[in-house]
Amino acid sequence: MIKNQINNLKNEAIGEILEAKDGKALEEIRARFLGRAGKINELTREIPKLPKEERAPLGKLLNETKLTVEEALWQAHEKFQAGKEKKEWFDVTLPGQKPSLGHLHLITQATREIVDIFSRLGFKWVRYPEVEWDWYAFEGLNMPKNHPARDTLETYFIEELYHPKLGKGVLTPHTSSGQLREMEQTKPPIRMLNIAKCYRRQSDVSHSTMFYQFEGLVVDEKINITHLKGTLDYFFKQFFGPERQARIRPFHFRFTEPSFEVDVSCSECHGVGKQEGGEVCRVCKEGWLEIGGAGMVHPNVLRNGGIDPEKYTGYAFGWGVERVLMMKYGIGDIRLLFDNDLRFLEQF
Amino acid sequence: MNILILDSWLREHLKTEAKPEEIGRYLSLSSQSVERTTKTHTGDFIYNIEVTSNRPDAFSVYGIARELSAVLPQNSLKTKLLPILEKPIPPVKKSLPLTVKIIDHSLVPRFTALVFDNVQIKPPPKVVQERLEASGIRSLNNVIDISNYLMLELGQPMHTFDYDKISKAKMIVRQAKAGEKITTLDGQVRLLPAGTIIIEDGGGRIIDLCGIMGGKNSEVDENTQRVLLFVQTYDPVSIRRSCQGLAFRTEAASRFEKGIDPEGVIIAMKRAVGLFKDWCGAKVASQLFDIYPEPPKPYTVSLKKSRLDQLLGVETKLTEAQNILESLGFETQIKDETIIAKVPHWRYGDITLPEDLVEEIARIHGYHNLPNVLPPISFPQKPLPILELEDKLKTALQYWGLSETPTYSLTNPLTQKKAGISPEGLLRLANPLSEEWRVLRTSLLPSLLEVVAQNIVFPTVRIFEIANVYLPQGKSKLPDERSRLGVMLADNGFLAAKGLVEIIFDNFNISNGHFIPPKTEEKIINPQKTADILVGKELVGRVGEVSQAVLAEFGINRPVAFLDLDLAALEKLVIPIKTYQPVSKYPPIIEDFSFVVPPKTLVAEIVQSIKQVNPLIISVELIDIYDQTRTFRIIYQSKEKSLTDKEIVLIRNSIINRLEKDGVRLKGAA
Repeated sequence: MIKNQINNLKNEAIGEILEAKDGKALEEIRARFLGRAGKINELTREIPKLPKEERAPLGKLLNETKLTVEEALWQAHEKFQAGKEKKEWFDVTLPGQKPSLGHLHLITQATREIVDIFSRLGFKWVRYPEVEWDWYAFEGLNMPKNHPARDTLETYFIEELYHPKLGKGVLTPHTSSGQLREMEQTKPPIRMLNIAKCYRRQSDVSHSTMFYQFEGLVVDEKINITHLKGTLDYFFKQFFGPERQARIRPFHFRFTEPSFEVDVSCSECHGVGKQEGGEVCRVCKEGWLEIGGAGMVHPNVLRNGGIDPEKYTGYAFGWGVERVLMMKYGIGDIRLLFDNDLRFLEQF
Repeated sequence: MNILILDSWLREHLKTEAKPEEIGRYLSLSSQSVERTTKTHTGDFIYNIEVTSNRPDAFSVYGIARELSAVLPQNSLKTKLLPILEKPIPPVKKSLPLTVKIIDHSLVPRFTALVFDNVQIKPPPKVVQERLEASGIRSLNNVIDISNYLMLELGQPMHTFDYDKISKAKMIVRQAKAGEKITTLDGQVRLLPAGTIIIEDGGGRIIDLCGIMGGKNSEVDENTQRVLLFVQTYDPVSIRRSCQGLAFRTEAASRFEKGIDPEGVIIAMKRAVGLFKDWCGAKVASQLFDIYPEPPKPYTVSLKKSRLDQLLGVETKLTEAQNILESLGFETQIKDETIIAKVPHWRYGDITLPEDLVEEIARIHGYHNLPNVLPPISFPQKPLPILELEDKLKTALQYWGLSETPTYSLTNPLTQKKAGISPEGLLRLANPLSEEWRVLRTSLLPSLLEVVAQNIVFPTVRIFEIANVYLPQGKSKLPDERSRLGVMLADNGFLAAKGLVEIIFDNFNISNGHFIPPKTEEKIINPQKTADILVGKELVGRVGEVSQAVLAEFGINRPVAFLDLDLAALEKLVIPIKTYQPVSKYPPIIEDFSFVVPPKTLVAEIVQSIKQVNPLIISVELIDIYDQTRTFRIIYQSKEKSLTDKEIVLIRNSIINRLEKDGVRLKGAA
């Protein structure tokens, strides 16, 4: 008897739900069937009056009915909502609400790339003083006083700064001064990547009076020229692109022996030196671009750093951060980098 | 230094099947760098070669030919070096006289001179004129051109005097005294730096600025009949110093200052004898004057095979290494797996160590013939902590909307003054390039204000820089280089800049940071709206607004907030690893209170007072400000139990009582 009533109630409710025209009608149905004084609750109140053995199965049926009606109501509600969303017009071309984003300078970006590339070879990123004693910048690097090699470095001196043993105070003209500092602190194996500001007494399209260099130093047993060559080739392929090649040529520096000039193959003519029409390439010298110096650490420098040159060998290289990034991004004038015009900076 | 060399001239000394393109390529790879090879209108080629400072021996046509005679055969190109066309110096029956007095032999290691008679002054052969001009030197007359021609061909500078203009045929080689002058060949009167090597003749006149340029008073002219040819070597350091002192450098000087082989002097002299005869019809009229008290002693350098292999990274055959050295002019022998090499005189001083021999062998073997190998990895280490902090901070600042503007560490003293910093206390360059880059800064703020001023037309300027400042520590101690963060927010106020500090502290897990009114009042700050930043008791920076006075100095007509943070100090306060704090299982109780506070009451002090009342107060947060009313949200929570109303009432009353002592009155619990 009551079982029929329950089933009728279910059919009645679902029928009405299916015919409901809008959300308001659904709310009305919900109240009538599922509300506190609704039809299902009315029947629920009848259950305790039933014989004991009927109570459980009918209670269960009533509960299932309640869930079925709720489910039907939810589905109908979803249907109405979906229809409503489809009708509501919105201009998706309006600008979004962006969180703020600034810009890191190209030098920082290039530095990160360099650090990342060398850290994979186990180089430790360090920084040594910019104001430094003559010993670390010159004398200890096998550049005696009055040596012409000092002239090319166009060094700034600090007024009145002088150490009785280590000499005059200078602004480091190169990151090589970090070599001795590193050797004093770390016994081999050494894998140093020193990135620091350097200063030279010159300023033009390709020289900024302040600039950044990165210096690699590897000192260990059994380190040789092939390791230097491998490192350079690896760096260029990572930094400039897999098709680029490195080459080393004889050169002369006081603090390395042998010394090299390092070139990377030209991106324009791919190392040929000529454009497709046969004209001389405007970008490079005979197919190659000069990056900077490198070499096997001079035994005197190792000795000055307290390292036995019989047991350990090493290589070093030091190049301009700006130089490699200008080549990569096609910037012609180094001074643009320090001009701090936000229209330039915000391009990167 | 660069040298221009004609292909045709080179081939006068070198018989080779190599094409100009091959010469250029292999010379670059194994010896001196060929920067350009250009074809001339006559079909010849000019090599523009950069010669390194340690190789004066290669700074000539013959020197390059000598290098190529070792380089090209290694690349399977048949090549032979041809001998220099020397003529013997004929004996003369009666020599014209020359009296020479050298005050300090160390300044003139070798002095030679020879007199020629019957000299006919005229233009030299056409090919000589062409070669000189292609090399960038103007042809003058046959005599002067001999000296320039041989300088280019053999690398030995020489000078020619009109013998009859040397008073009493007497030369005194000495150092100039302060105030002495000479008129050089180019007609310039030059004040000689003390110590410059000069020659005085028997009449007390200065007739030569040695190694740099001859004197006008003894020059060869169209009437000259007797010529004194003068071939010397000089102390390189002395020549270099004189050039620096004179601010003047010639082709000859730039060779002498790198060092000239004294053994090459006679070769050049003998070559000149032939040219004087052929081009000028002259004959030798004196004995050879050759003052050479201390010829350098021949020496050997030894290289063990193990050392060669160690640096090269490949197994070598000693015989191959030996052949290479022989091709470069070394005399060698092999003993006990060691090469003993007698250094050729033109490489004296440059080759002294076993490593120098390694370089010779490796470059001729060809660096391009060695493999590329990555070095073995060895205990990779993290960057220095300060670099890591800087790097992370840069990323954070970028994502908080700031742009990085690096500026020069060297600044103009005026910029410092404008910002109220006295330039007297800063490190100063002894040899500045310009006043713009004169002093090393102790604060980033003045430079950043310049950047703000420069970009003032843009609607928002939010910039930062992370860089070292240089704090002087006396005359015999390097400055303290400390990393700092500087920020400028144009169109923003104190709270925006302070918020940046707070989020930096949150981000880097720095606890115990707080802000107090500034201890000192510099010109750059607005003292009402600036705070010193402390972590615990340590001063780590300052945040606030730039004073109107300083903004006006920099031409900035908008409010600007700044932040200046000592990263070197902060780096030590960062807690790198956050330790886990168990979350309380019991519910928090949250209450909002509004208090009316007396004027000039600091919110931070109220918060501090409330927190100190009871450890169950786990958070006090300012949520509203209105006139003198401050509304705080207080959270109570225990890790051990659920708090009862009774317990809360006790704490609440203690808070109210505590604050009443400072005149802070509860307005009503919300």
